[in-house]
Amino acid sequence: MNIHKVSRREFLKATGMTAGGMIMGVTLPVSLSAEDSESAFHPDVFIHIGENGDTTLYCGRAEMGQGISTALPAAVADELEADWSRVSVLQGDGDKKYGSQATGGSRSINEFFFPMRTAGAAMREMLVKAAAKSWGVSESDCYAELHYVHNKKNKKKIGYGELADEAGKLPLPKNPVLKTREQFRYIRKPLARHDQGEVVVGKRTYGIDTKIPGLKYAAIAHVPVFGGTLKSVDKTEAMKMKGVIDVVEVKPIKNPFSSVGGVAVVADNTWVAQQALKKLKIEWDPGANKIHNSKEYLEQLVKNVESPAEEIFKRGDVDKALKAAETTHSASYTGGYLSHSPMEPNASLAWVQDGSCEIWAATQNPQEIQKVVAQFLGRKEEDIVVHSTAAGGAFGRKSKCDYVHEAAAISKAAGVPVQLSWSREEDTRTGFYHSINAQHLEAGLDKDGNINAWLQRVAFPSIGSTFNPSQDRPNARDFRGPIAHPYGIANLKLESGHAPAHTRIGWYRAVYDIFYGFAVNVFTDELAQKSGMDTVKFLNNIYDNNKDSEMSSVVNRCRGVLNLAAEKGGWGRTMQENHGLGIAVHHSYRSFLAMLVHVETNGDDVKVHRVDCAVDCGLVLNPDIATAQMEGAVVMGLSLSLREDITFKDGAVVNSNYHDYPVLRHNEMPEVHVHFVDSPESPTGLGEPGVPTFAPALINAIYAASGKRHRSIPIKPMSV
Amino acid sequence: MSKTTNINGKEISIDVDESMPLLWFLRDELELTGTKYGCGIGSCAACTVHMNGQAIRSCLTPVSSVIGKKITTIEGLSEDGSHPLQKAWLANNVPQCGYCQAGQIMGAADFLSKNPSPKEQDVEAAMSAHICRCGTYQRIKKAVLDAAAEMQEA
Repeated sequence: MNIHKVSRREFLKATGMTAGGMIMGVTLPVSLSAEDSESAFHPDVFIHIGENGDTTLYCGRAEMGQGISTALPAAVADELEADWSRVSVLQGDGDKKYGSQATGGSRSINEFFFPMRTAGAAMREMLVKAAAKSWGVSESDCYAELHYVHNKKNKKKIGYGELADEAGKLPLPKNPVLKTREQFRYIRKPLARHDQGEVVVGKRTYGIDTKIPGLKYAAIAHVPVFGGTLKSVDKTEAMKMKGVIDVVEVKPIKNPFSSVGGVAVVADNTWVAQQALKKLKIEWDPGANKIHNSKEYLEQLVKNVESPAEEIFKRGDVDKALKAAETTHSASYTGGYLSHSPMEPNASLAWVQDGSCEIWAATQNPQEIQKVVAQFLGRKEEDIVVHSTAAGGAFGRKSKCDYVHEAAAISKAAGVPVQLSWSREEDTRTGFYHSINAQHLEAGLDKDGNINAWLQRVAFPSIGSTFNPSQDRPNARDFRGPIAHPYGIANLKLESGHAPAHTRIGWYRAVYDIFYGFAVNVFTDELAQKSGMDTVKFLNNIYDNNKDSEMSSVVNRCRGVLNLAAEKGGWGRTMQENHGLGIAVHHSYRSFLAMLVHVETNGDDVKVHRVDCAVDCGLVLNPDIATAQMEGAVVMGLSLSLREDITFKDGAVVNSNYHDYPVLRHNEMPEVHVHFVDSPESPTGLGEPGVPTFAPALINAIYAASGKRHRSIPIKPMSV
Repeated sequence: MSKTTNINGKEISIDVDESMPLLWFLRDELELTGTKYGCGIGSCAACTVHMNGQAIRSCLTPVSSVIGKKITTIEGLSEDGSHPLQKAWLANNVPQCGYCQAGQIMGAADFLSKNPSPKEQDVEAAMSAHICRCGTYQRIKKAVLDAAAEMQEA
């Protein structure tokens, strides 16, 4: 059982809040680590019904715009038969008492759904029992509905607030009965998000917005080349400026999520700090990575995948099968570095004093902040108080806490509370980038168009290199996607090409699935053409021919989204001149996606008219939020397909702001239609899985419209 | 006499370096944080406010040029969040992370005051000044058109 009754004393200890009424804790099996003893009590979520009936969830996961602070409480409220208007959510501070608080990998929905429902159902049963007891009737004469327990016999009702105290004293039901899908009140409904009202009046507080008394402001310049160091800084001119308080050097510590090093100015406001920063005379020593030029590096990666590389996985005999094939085809694909570039740049408030350290930040991982700042200050993790604020976008960037380490370092040195806001330029140039990448694929087809051989060589600087600098190529872990690919080809070989890292590599929304989904789907489209078959038919054949029983669920769900997208987007219809349709299928993070893109081309110009997304994410908790995630995935997918490209020259990023790292704007927004498979499966997340299918569907559509086959994204990189 | 500017109906005296952009005066000096920093070069429009009813990029507008002017920020667009655009934003569930939305709404308010019955393409063109990294463009367009329709009826 992963739900527990929580005493008022325990609740006070865990949340610092006193409460009457009824309190439940939900602990997830995944967050129980070996170091937790039997008696450890670390619920991930607390659910409290107060004596006035107000129902509050205390939740540790980060809300970054993907709606988990609405979808998950809806699961509790539904089973609890709560009135949605009486339910609110509070984001917890960074603390182990909430279990793992890392947000990423589209896991939150997966992990929380059933425990949250079970907790809601248990509380409902306890409330019903308390009411039955007070009326002296049997429980079967009572039912719960919208924050009241009703008595069928005498038609009376009692509110949850009135019952909460007594209900809290009852034993936890062993097997609370969950609703059937047909009984859901909130789940599967387009429930409005909890946090929107304050957004439209400018009252939502992000990491960059926090204010405390005596606050000072900081701006920072980072070492431009990763691994470089500060040679010297002359602060004379800067210190003469009115409002400047201090100039602070920030040094990296031995932690991959710490600052790369830089120089900061502390001032009365951000503007003065930014101006003074420009007056510093800084000399950097770029270090070993100054040799890094991304254009030449990518050319080298292509060479590395176009010749034999290190074998990672093998099934059957690819070389023999390729020789025996009726037709063979090979092609290489590339993609550039990407920057997350959320609208809210990295920002954090820190107030470090002798006996305390308090932090406010938008973060995907508050406990990592505790670790890094504790390491920096030489204090205990539990002595670092971290308040998670709303995040103005994150996409993976705010799972790192270099900016928080810096705010703490600056506050400590200057002896004042400091709000550090990175400039857009620093945010663009000091990232944890999505890997630059190259892939080479070779396949053999038999006379019926079946794929009998598949060789895939991949080279990209791995995220592992951020933790272990000696990792100079993708390892087996980085190949989990291609190994699990649902084509079920008899002769398969996967190889890893040399790709040492020259910058920090990090998780970017959908991570490696972006380039795996790209290369596999574009290559599949090319193979379909080679075999003279329509791509949807070609894919259906592959799925039909995959007889691996262990893969049957994956194969069926891929087939389901493929054919749904094809149907809804009108695959196979006759198109006007210069118009084309392209399709792609990919599954990642346990969700299944197909996108069909309708494009019009005019020379090198492309205009995307319409995108049909078919989604199988199991039970759809909130169709409106799920749809919004797909709309966002299309925007990010189109943006990275067309222009986003971080360029390194002499080890440093050349791009600086939205003019030379142009992200998609309104004028290029296609019409997006989202279609859900009515799936009996458990719900899975959608923050990431939408991104990988867009680029290949677009590239395939451009081919259909113009006959031009792109194999590198972005297709219109800015020259910087 | 000290120099002042009117912000959301209040006279505010200006006692800072007048070259400071209005954005930082609002955010750091007055603690009106609804107006957001996104790029600092007038490229993303997250910092959009109104000066005498016209949309401006507060990150590029020095405080010197707002002396004696009337500034409206997202906090002052309506008294209670009841502006047709604010209502349309909620009805369409527009925001994801929400960070850029104050700027989007302020930009849209200026646009509708000049073009009260826009076509879809007009909205797309006008709102292309604004960046939303979460990708809420489809809903923004719908919300602007809905608000325009409501304002026409009123």
